[in-house]
Amino acid sequence: MYSGDYVYPSIYFAYFLFLIFLVGAIYFFLKSYRDGYWGEEGESIKYQVWADEEKPRQGDK
Amino acid sequence: MSTQSSVAEIPVSQAAKASEGIHTDTTAKYFLISAVAYFFIVGIIALIIAAKFVWPQMLGTVSYLTYGRLRPLHVNGMLFGWLLACDMGLIYYFVPRLCGVKLWSEKLGVATAMLWNFIILSAVVTLLLGLNQGLEYAELVVPLDVLVVVAWVMFGANIFMTIATRKYQQMYVSLWYVMGTILWTAFVYLTGNFAVLMATGVNQANLNWMYVHNAVGLIFTPAGLAIAYYFIPKSSNTPLYSHKLSMVGFWSLAFVYVWTGAHHMLHGPISQWLQTIAIVFSVMLLVPVWAVVYNFFATMKGQWHQLKDNVPLKFLMSGVVFYLLTCFQGPMHSLRAVNAIVSKTDWIPGHAHMAVLGAFSFFAIAGSLYILPRMFKTALYSDTLANWSFWFFMIGGLGFFVTLWLGGFWQGWQWNNPAIPFIDTVVALQPVWLVRFFSGIFMFIGIALYAYNVMATVLRVQSTPEAPPKAVAATV
Repeated sequence: MYSGDYVYPSIYFAYFLFLIFLVGAIYFFLKSYRDGYWGEEGESIKYQVWADEEKPRQGDK
Repeated sequence: MSTQSSVAEIPVSQAAKASEGIHTDTTAKYFLISAVAYFFIVGIIALIIAAKFVWPQMLGTVSYLTYGRLRPLHVNGMLFGWLLACDMGLIYYFVPRLCGVKLWSEKLGVATAMLWNFIILSAVVTLLLGLNQGLEYAELVVPLDVLVVVAWVMFGANIFMTIATRKYQQMYVSLWYVMGTILWTAFVYLTGNFAVLMATGVNQANLNWMYVHNAVGLIFTPAGLAIAYYFIPKSSNTPLYSHKLSMVGFWSLAFVYVWTGAHHMLHGPISQWLQTIAIVFSVMLLVPVWAVVYNFFATMKGQWHQLKDNVPLKFLMSGVVFYLLTCFQGPMHSLRAVNAIVSKTDWIPGHAHMAVLGAFSFFAIAGSLYILPRMFKTALYSDTLANWSFWFFMIGGLGFFVTLWLGGFWQGWQWNNPAIPFIDTVVALQPVWLVRFFSGIFMFIGIALYAYNVMATVLRVQSTPEAPPKAVAATV
């Protein structure tokens, strides 16, 4: 690698960024289990779309 | 143009009335109106370059109007001036509502809108002057790239701070997609516009194509799906089929999409293992796509009749079908045998336009038609006009997509025959490009009707101090 050749540093930079995002994604994926997104109450979140309305919806229990 | 009563007009609930004053939506309005203006202006550019395919001598040799300058202007104008700006406007609208709080800083939002407009206008000037880095989707000069980063940081800070101050602990799937969009865009944009400048040859091409494919896959896809996940339940007034399934779609997209860019360079000089990885991950994309599409179709079960007179829902569900088709084409195109035929042909713009126009622009148009009456507290200028714009988009779009897919295969087979001189393959495609041009006229009429509808709605509000009571929207 001659002086001034940034090919490998640039690729390492891209992969380093990728690694950061991969670690972050794995962390938040695991955290989503702890925060109840996959549990029994996970389906109630979809009603947040109407959180500030009172109008009944189709199929609303 | 006569106006009909909008299907979106429903009685104002007490809760909605109480929170009416919470959201000013100033930033969303700025982004939305400027995005629609760019949609119209860049649509004219699109028609010109479609015409240049058929009549290459058109506009002579005026350097500012040559294909080499107008094409990047069309691409950047549509991607960043129209679609991303419209997506940002919609995100500024629904994120505070999903969080149950005001936007963190409306002033910062307006400043972001101003900076974004400055970037787009500067892009128009620099690209017409021929200042172009020669990298697909990354044509803008470095100072403008830096400004895009600054604008994105401002946008991201505003949205993340809004989410940080939310009322509800758990976040609806649209918020996950919005956060993903902001973070992935940072990663993809930095790589595609800065890291790529330091690499050369095949390595540069690899970084560039990672950026190009992920511009669609990790910027416009999550932003578009965030919009679809919010507006399909809202406009159909039906709860999402399954929030857990939406999580499956989100996380599978997060883990699968980033590796697919190299499928643009199959049969090229990149290593075989990288080509194979790109193919494997491209095929795996079927998982998030089908998870998303099944969720939307199941949401609409028993509600399809609403499409008859609900224009935003028409755009949304047509967009879902185009999304399904696009994301079936993508994995198939990444297979070596298919890629050997269609790669680099006109099949690619046919496929890309179905993603960016057919799927994500349809979502953005639907969202804008839904929020416009609610932001400006009036009825949409004309539902009939909105419906006409839908059909012009649909007919023009289908003509464009199907013609280029068939033309692309035809072109690819000709290229694979060494007995046919290359120039003959160019001449042979002229009928295809003629159909593309006329389809483009249909699409542009769709853009013009949509833009007129938006502007007429906005200008009517400006000239009417008191909006009619029946037109006040219910949702906030």
